[in-house]
Amino acid sequence: MRLLSAPARLALALSWLAALLLLAWWVGGTLQLGGDLRRFMPQPRTPAQKLLIDELGEGPGSRLLLIGVSGDTPQALAAQSRALRDALRASGEFGLVANGEAGLEAIPQRLRPYRYLLSDTLDTRPDSLTGAALTETLQSRVQDLGSPAAALIEPLVASDPTLEMLQLAERWEPAQAPQRLHGVWFDRAGKQALLAAQTHAAGFDPRGQQSAVDGIARAFAHARGSSPARMELSGPGAFSVEIGARTEREAQWIGAVDSIGLILLLFVAYRSWKIPLFGLLPLASAGLVGLGAVAALFDGVHGITVAFGFTLIGVAQDYPIHLFSHQRPGVSAQAVVRALWRTLATGVIATCIAYLTFFVSGVDGLRQLAVFTIAGLATAALATRYLLPPLLDPDMRDVADSPRLARIWAWFEQMPRPRAALAALVLAAVAVIALAPAQFWQNDLAKLTPVPADAMARDTRLRRELGAPDVRHVMVLEGRDIEAVLRATERMAPALDTLVSSGAIAGYDFAARYLPSTQLQRARQSRLSGATTLRRDLDVAIAQTPFEADVFEPFLADVESARTARPLSARDLRGTPLAASVEGLLLERAGGATALVSLSGIKDPAAVARAARQYGAQLLDLKQASESLVAAYRQRVLAALALAAVLLAATVWISLRKPARVVRVLLPMAITTVLVLAVLRGLGVELTLFHLVALILAAGLGLDYALFFEHAGDERRDQLRTLHGLIVCSLITLLVFSLLALSSIPVLRAIGSTVALGVVCNFVLAVLISRAPAARTTHAT
Amino acid sequence: MLAIGPGWADQGGLDSPADAAWILSKLARPAPMQTGFVELRGSRLLKTPLRIEGLYRRPDAATLVREVRAPYAETVTIRSGEVVIARPGKSPRRFSLSRAPEFGALQASFGALLTGDRALLEKHYRVSVAGTRQQWRMQLLPRDAALAAKVREVMLHGRGAELRCIATHAVQGEAQRTLLAGAARAAGPTVTAATLERICTGAPA
Repeated sequence: MRLLSAPARLALALSWLAALLLLAWWVGGTLQLGGDLRRFMPQPRTPAQKLLIDELGEGPGSRLLLIGVSGDTPQALAAQSRALRDALRASGEFGLVANGEAGLEAIPQRLRPYRYLLSDTLDTRPDSLTGAALTETLQSRVQDLGSPAAALIEPLVASDPTLEMLQLAERWEPAQAPQRLHGVWFDRAGKQALLAAQTHAAGFDPRGQQSAVDGIARAFAHARGSSPARMELSGPGAFSVEIGARTEREAQWIGAVDSIGLILLLFVAYRSWKIPLFGLLPLASAGLVGLGAVAALFDGVHGITVAFGFTLIGVAQDYPIHLFSHQRPGVSAQAVVRALWRTLATGVIATCIAYLTFFVSGVDGLRQLAVFTIAGLATAALATRYLLPPLLDPDMRDVADSPRLARIWAWFEQMPRPRAALAALVLAAVAVIALAPAQFWQNDLAKLTPVPADAMARDTRLRRELGAPDVRHVMVLEGRDIEAVLRATERMAPALDTLVSSGAIAGYDFAARYLPSTQLQRARQSRLSGATTLRRDLDVAIAQTPFEADVFEPFLADVESARTARPLSARDLRGTPLAASVEGLLLERAGGATALVSLSGIKDPAAVARAARQYGAQLLDLKQASESLVAAYRQRVLAALALAAVLLAATVWISLRKPARVVRVLLPMAITTVLVLAVLRGLGVELTLFHLVALILAAGLGLDYALFFEHAGDERRDQLRTLHGLIVCSLITLLVFSLLALSSIPVLRAIGSTVALGVVCNFVLAVLISRAPAARTTHAT
Repeated sequence: MLAIGPGWADQGGLDSPADAAWILSKLARPAPMQTGFVELRGSRLLKTPLRIEGLYRRPDAATLVREVRAPYAETVTIRSGEVVIARPGKSPRRFSLSRAPEFGALQASFGALLTGDRALLEKHYRVSVAGTRQQWRMQLLPRDAALAAKVREVMLHGRGAELRCIATHAVQGEAQRTLLAGAARAAGPTVTAATLERICTGAPA
């Protein structure tokens, strides 16, 4: 093949680089990075699982942020609390901001007449708007007008003499609302002002939550001014933001160290500054094509896919390194790569087939991972085969000349081929796996993204002070439609009150507290007096007080409109702050409706579950539901893994044909998997999905080493070159994944530790097992 | 009981101009103390203004109690920024003083006066005095913006060492006048707004 001149080669290399930059620009423009962990979960099957997936992402519990402000006098803190509330409301990112201030202005004018249907006064005192009760009410209002509260009461009296609006506002307070000092909520000690804010963004939308958290920080900085006050923030959104920041920081330093290490290693191994550049080109292409493929085929790339995908560096760099190690003077790069291609291709195809099995797992995130990996590895291999050789310098030094390498090879040559020892090791490993005391599988999703203990304690404390609902337990009532479930929850109310008074729960909340059922609203309507009767009673009452005769016209109008209006429905509440409370607790779907009863301070779940069952409701343990979900689909992933193992073996068989060779290649992989599992189990590590994915990656690497050791070449110099390539490959892979194993994020730690262990075991076992029998190697020249 | 005493003034007699320091020194009374009051509270909702009679008490330096005796019974206790309204047969209602700033004005001014704490008074209000020691008036203009939005000024009228009337002029609505001590006794059972104003400012009948 004609050799290109040096400047031409350099120009080609640079144009490749330019093409990469263009691709990077396009991918960067179209890429939507997401963080929704639900992408890595299978379809929910049971109602509990469905509720979990809904609640996890969209539920009110997951969108609630708890805020505490302390460090200054209570008056100053109260003023800051008020300023914070106003700022957060104005920002438009929050559906509900509560700090204890009466939110009467939150209820729109058109809904005010409905107060007689929403308030429960008419349930317990049906004659409160007639006769003697009315007289007494008016007399109380007269006294109010003479008291310090006159300024507050005077605007309300004409239309609302029974002060129904104030009673409603009080009733809509959370049941265990904190104490009020200076008009806003404070904790029991009176030292910390408390607020609760519900975001519009879903709990698993990291960008939305980040924006909300930033908004709160900005508003607080503004409200604080020069005061020494501090703010505490807690809640699922706050945790995910913190974890996201930590992951990004770690990914950045790991990526930086990886890149530097890679370049240094390549430089030391090949003593040429051009090699690191040529080595990076296929890698960068692989990464970008992988990202582009996912961006094109899916809407949005998950952060975990990106993180995992970039660890491809540890795998895909194998291909150009084998090419570099086999170059020697007098042979063109194209010839070298053609000689290597069969072995290389077998490894690539086998790994890609293994990842293809993720398509049957039915999990979106894993499918993305498969597309990224397959596209990336295929690109790296093809780039090494076709694009890289024309660019390389023809007179590369031959690594087989290195005396140190010769010494290492001689040392490996005289290593035994242990059979009995290995068998014993495998048996010991199996025993460890079977008998280790720790739990085999990690089912707790929370452990994947752990929250530091002090942050958890802070969350528990704020949640208890604010009376915010429990995130783990929720009571569920299903019914034919919204009216049916509202009635059912109203029927349950006495039982729930009993639970509160007995101490089984600290409090509860349901939609019917804000939106009574149509049946109840109509019952209250029937207790309202007709216009003429009311006017007569009112005139009698007024006569006994100093009120002007015509003052209460607005009151008469309001009662009449309440008496004749259509009952309030959930739709009517849309756009009001009440909607935020109702929508989270009332779910409508095709063919039915679900009412949720949120509980706080649960001390006796068994009693609550019993009470629930009596009324046809169900106490859901969302943690249990999530664990069942994880366990359910692990079966599918394991099935996919089994299929992958079969396909891998088949690919190798097709390539190598001879059974002895196939066994020599597959055995290190198999033994490594057992050994790695034994080490993890022995150390008490509970396995997660990410361990399984990493095991596949390690198996792919092992296959690579075994294939190359098995077919090291017929002459000794070829064998030396192969060894050089394998040593460089494994060192780089070890570097990349060892750094990951040091991460504080469990997902990255799982992948890093598993693959790092796998690399070491695979290399050692490949040396011990895969080397061709001694007869062939004595033909050294 | 605020006493009507001859002006044993240090400098000058009752005809010399009044000043804040002198007034405050005369009015200061240690806790516990109490004084009768008569108030007329008008509202556009009422045919005639409410004539409220009762007792202001200060059991200790930090608490102010307003005990209404006629035409109904009610006890209002103001302490540490919180107002508690208690009526017989009903559970007490509480709310924060920050929601009724005009009453906060009353408490701050009354409290400062009774302790003779000029610094406290000046902290909340701009103080200016007019008239003689025989008949003086003290104008308090609120400094706090939230309060100034509701209360335009508080005018204190007095004779000698006796505080006779506190008139709170709201930004919107009518002025509320509270007659104290001797002025309260001078107000008969039926009193109109005009009479009240006259008794308050001490204009001749």
